[in-house]
Amino acid sequence: MTDRTVVTPTGSDVPSGDGEPASGSVTSGGQTSAERTAARGGTGRGPLLEVTDLVKHFDIRGGLLGISKLGAVRAVDGVSFSVKEGETLGLVGESGCGKTTLGKVILRLLPPTAGEVNFEGKSLFRLGSREMKAARRDIQVVFQDPYASLNPRMSVGEIVGEGLYVHGMTNKRERESAVRDLLKRVGLNQQHIHRYPHEFSGGQRQRIGIARALALRPKFIVCDEPVSALDVSIQSQVLNLLSDLQDEFQLTYLFIAHNLAVVKHLSTRVGVMYLGKIVELSDADELYRNPAHPYTKALLSAIPVPDPTIRRERIVLKGDLPSPANPPSGCRFHTRCPMAQEICKTEEPPLRDVGGGHMSACHFAEEVTPLEERRAPGSLPA
Amino acid sequence: MVSEATAAEIERRRAEEAEAESAEIDRIPVRTYWQLVRQRFMKHRLAVFGVIVLIVLAAYAIIIPSVTGDAWTKTQLFRDDAPPEIFSEDGDLTFAVLGYNENGQNLFARLGKATQTSLMIGLAAVIIIVVIGVFIGSIAGYVGGWMDNLLMRFVDIMLSLPALFVILMITAFFGQGNVWVVIFAIGLTGWTTAARLVRAEFLSLREVDYVQAARALGASPRRIILRHMLPPAMAPIVVAATLGIADSVVVESALSFLGFGIGRDSASLGTMLQNARDYFFSGPLKVVYPGVVLILIVLSASFLGDGLRDALDPRQRVEK
Amino acid sequence: MTVTQRQVGPLLEIKGIKTHFFTQDGVVKAVDDVTFEIGHGQTLGVVGESGCGKSITSLSVMRLIERPGRIVAGEILLNGENLLAKTDADMRDVRGDQVSMIFQEPMTSLNPVFTCGDQIAEAVQQHTAVSRREAWDRAIEMLRVVGIPDAKRRANEHPHQLSGGMRQRVMIAMALSTDPDLLIADEPTTALDVTIQAQILEVMRDLREKNRMAIMLITHDLGVVAEMADEVVVMYAGKVVERADVRTVFGSPHHPYTQGLLLSIPRLDERRERLEVIKGTVPSPLNLPTGCLFKRRCPRRMKVCDTAPPYREIGPDHHSRCWLTPNGEPPDVGADAEGAEAEAAAEALTVEAR
Repeated sequence: MTDRTVVTPTGSDVPSGDGEPASGSVTSGGQTSAERTAARGGTGRGPLLEVTDLVKHFDIRGGLLGISKLGAVRAVDGVSFSVKEGETLGLVGESGCGKTTLGKVILRLLPPTAGEVNFEGKSLFRLGSREMKAARRDIQVVFQDPYASLNPRMSVGEIVGEGLYVHGMTNKRERESAVRDLLKRVGLNQQHIHRYPHEFSGGQRQRIGIARALALRPKFIVCDEPVSALDVSIQSQVLNLLSDLQDEFQLTYLFIAHNLAVVKHLSTRVGVMYLGKIVELSDADELYRNPAHPYTKALLSAIPVPDPTIRRERIVLKGDLPSPANPPSGCRFHTRCPMAQEICKTEEPPLRDVGGGHMSACHFAEEVTPLEERRAPGSLPA
Repeated sequence: MVSEATAAEIERRRAEEAEAESAEIDRIPVRTYWQLVRQRFMKHRLAVFGVIVLIVLAAYAIIIPSVTGDAWTKTQLFRDDAPPEIFSEDGDLTFAVLGYNENGQNLFARLGKATQTSLMIGLAAVIIIVVIGVFIGSIAGYVGGWMDNLLMRFVDIMLSLPALFVILMITAFFGQGNVWVVIFAIGLTGWTTAARLVRAEFLSLREVDYVQAARALGASPRRIILRHMLPPAMAPIVVAATLGIADSVVVESALSFLGFGIGRDSASLGTMLQNARDYFFSGPLKVVYPGVVLILIVLSASFLGDGLRDALDPRQRVEK
Repeated sequence: MTVTQRQVGPLLEIKGIKTHFFTQDGVVKAVDDVTFEIGHGQTLGVVGESGCGKSITSLSVMRLIERPGRIVAGEILLNGENLLAKTDADMRDVRGDQVSMIFQEPMTSLNPVFTCGDQIAEAVQQHTAVSRREAWDRAIEMLRVVGIPDAKRRANEHPHQLSGGMRQRVMIAMALSTDPDLLIADEPTTALDVTIQAQILEVMRDLREKNRMAIMLITHDLGVVAEMADEVVVMYAGKVVERADVRTVFGSPHHPYTQGLLLSIPRLDERRERLEVIKGTVPSPLNLPTGCLFKRRCPRRMKVCDTAPPYREIGPDHHSRCWLTPNGEPPDVGADAEGAEAEAAAEALTVEAR
């Protein structure tokens, strides 16, 4: 596979490489994400969650008793970011980039290898089991698979009410009325409280999972691919619900997904992960308009446009994702990067501010050009 | 903050969504998980047949020995190899519908007692198997790591020893002919499969989203194991246990047949078969009766096991 | 097959096929009266959500429907020959030779115990009289064509040694090794990451140009359809609800379901506070509504929708299964029409289309 720049769908209209100015630049309707945050009262407050140099390696073990260490999969390899109260931080990346592991370590569902996670100033990894249980009221999770995330042997009422029970609401009647209220808030029929998960469709099951997460009135929810297993028409329902609930309960989200369009829709800021590292982090609209990392640009360009009249520059990356057990030297992206130079093989670029809080981990961040996009000739008016 | 107008708007939208969604689900009758299990089980005809046969055999094993008293072991003079009868010459109810054996013992009563002994040994051995297996397996699966490695290597060692040999050793050492020694021996050698099953289930369940969600809610390990991990792990256990009953009955019969099982003063399907061996040509029915009961127990238990496996499998949805 | 045959008429014509599944709980009409055709070298996108019957349609074309499913009505003509009338042996010759298929999950479609080269070579040998040596060379050539670097070495590797994207390339290489007229691709990139998806779509596009091959592309991803397809068929609950060329479907969709689908996807180049939604859920196939199958979720629902709407031509090569007039107005028969009157109107409009 050669590295080339192609314009879809026919690949004949725009010459390879750069040089031609972006005709018909990116349109963005409505508010910018900064305005959205402001509208939600998000900015101005301190960070709710702060992740510092987080590392998670999975040891590859072998030998007779499986004790000798053969190597490690570096799922998360030194990640730092913070999430402000009321905002949604999106995390995108392809499978194997470590985004799901990162979410699980923050939730303390997996033990960290190194690093810190501070929630409201407290270090989560130093909490004892009782303090951690209390902290769990504030940090919740919504999972991807609407089938695997609900216990098939429990009724909807038991599933949604489990957190309440665990945290001391042992009165059954009290719990049931709380569950009914939650079901109403996530758009489910309260009469279905005694039904079992298998009777619901994928979208409804995801609503049940959201209700479970909301039950303890958390401040922060990790949404791990919450819509990627759903059909298109159901995806939009759940995305709208998440955004409504954010307003209603002043929630802060860490939104993990592989679909950049979905992430950008919901997020105020977006981080892009590649092989266990954040390679770019910026305001959502800015990231799309002005990518500062060649991987982000390739990722953006690879997303098919659901409009046959628009042709977007297409950067086809060569090769496959390297193994996270043995990441490339220097910049991890250099093996597939169309802009790679000698320095990229030896020196690892730090995540640095390239202007206005736009962070990029590329030696040549300033040289990354915006994505070209234009309306095909003879197109119909939109 | 959310304005009141927006709140009302959101409220209206939610109600609308709930209504649109409920249209579909209201068509499905309310069924709990266990109702579904029963529904799927009832569709499995052989399994239903197995349950009926086992119930009939259990009833026989409980009722007949209690009605006939010591008839199973009492040798009656001049009645050796006597033909079937229901009433004795004195007009007493004897239930000797299968006639008498060479010692003048009532075969129907003896078969009842033997079925009782064999089923009891099977059940008791399986209880030991399940208790040890679930305990070891769940610790290995839940804790994982070095503990898992240690316990599983122990299981490997157990598996590498020939089971029948170990059982023979135990019975020889602890007293031949004692029912409880036999049960203990079968249980002690049979738990490894159950432990492996539970461990495998627990290892995969640990990663399942709903278990992770329960951990994220702050549920205690006790609650997670009892509420979220043991119930789904029990499905394969119940299946294995059902098949284990059949296995244990066969092992007991084999032991008794070899003369290492329960003593001659008691009766089990194995001892009956062993006794009958000498009369195979003169009285072949004496082999057939315990043989048929043994086959029925083993077949019914495995049909039941198959049915349970299908019925308990959550992947088999009734819908769609 | 002669050259004239190739030029006359479409490559594949599906005429009113019905594929039903006879389950314990009732009859599931997975594909119910589906009609469309694919021209030579044309790419047809079949879109719809899970359970809409798009995959069953493609399996019907391959005659790969298994019990309790059965094709109960209709005709499938490939170059004018009815595939449903063929014997199983003849059908095996068609599969892989004239029509090839690739699936979503390449790992389950490749045999784990044979090398990739072996599997492709075997496919070649099954349909052409060549030696083992020639077949192997062809296999390596095909691996090169689909952009696998170091094809000679890769041919000797087993499927598990390859990444997901590589496996899908091997599947494509196998499907194309016999130079088929039609490639059926069932969600070929759904299991892959976007950057790998871009690679695979690129390969498919290249090969389509080179081989003048027709593609039936089944996907739920409207972006992929917009990029790849010439024509689009939108399916809902076993029926085709709209059909037109790609620009019409995306530019001026007629059916409310198509409109809803297009509005509900988040897009990179827009910033919307809320997404439009299609309310509710796809109806259970055992409990379909009478009349229009979409009516329970439709924002334009009218009383007349209780009668099955006509499937008709509403513009040049633009078909839709909806009561709304071509400009989106309520129908001539009246929004409240019902019973015999509505049925007659539907009949009249359907006839008009023919």
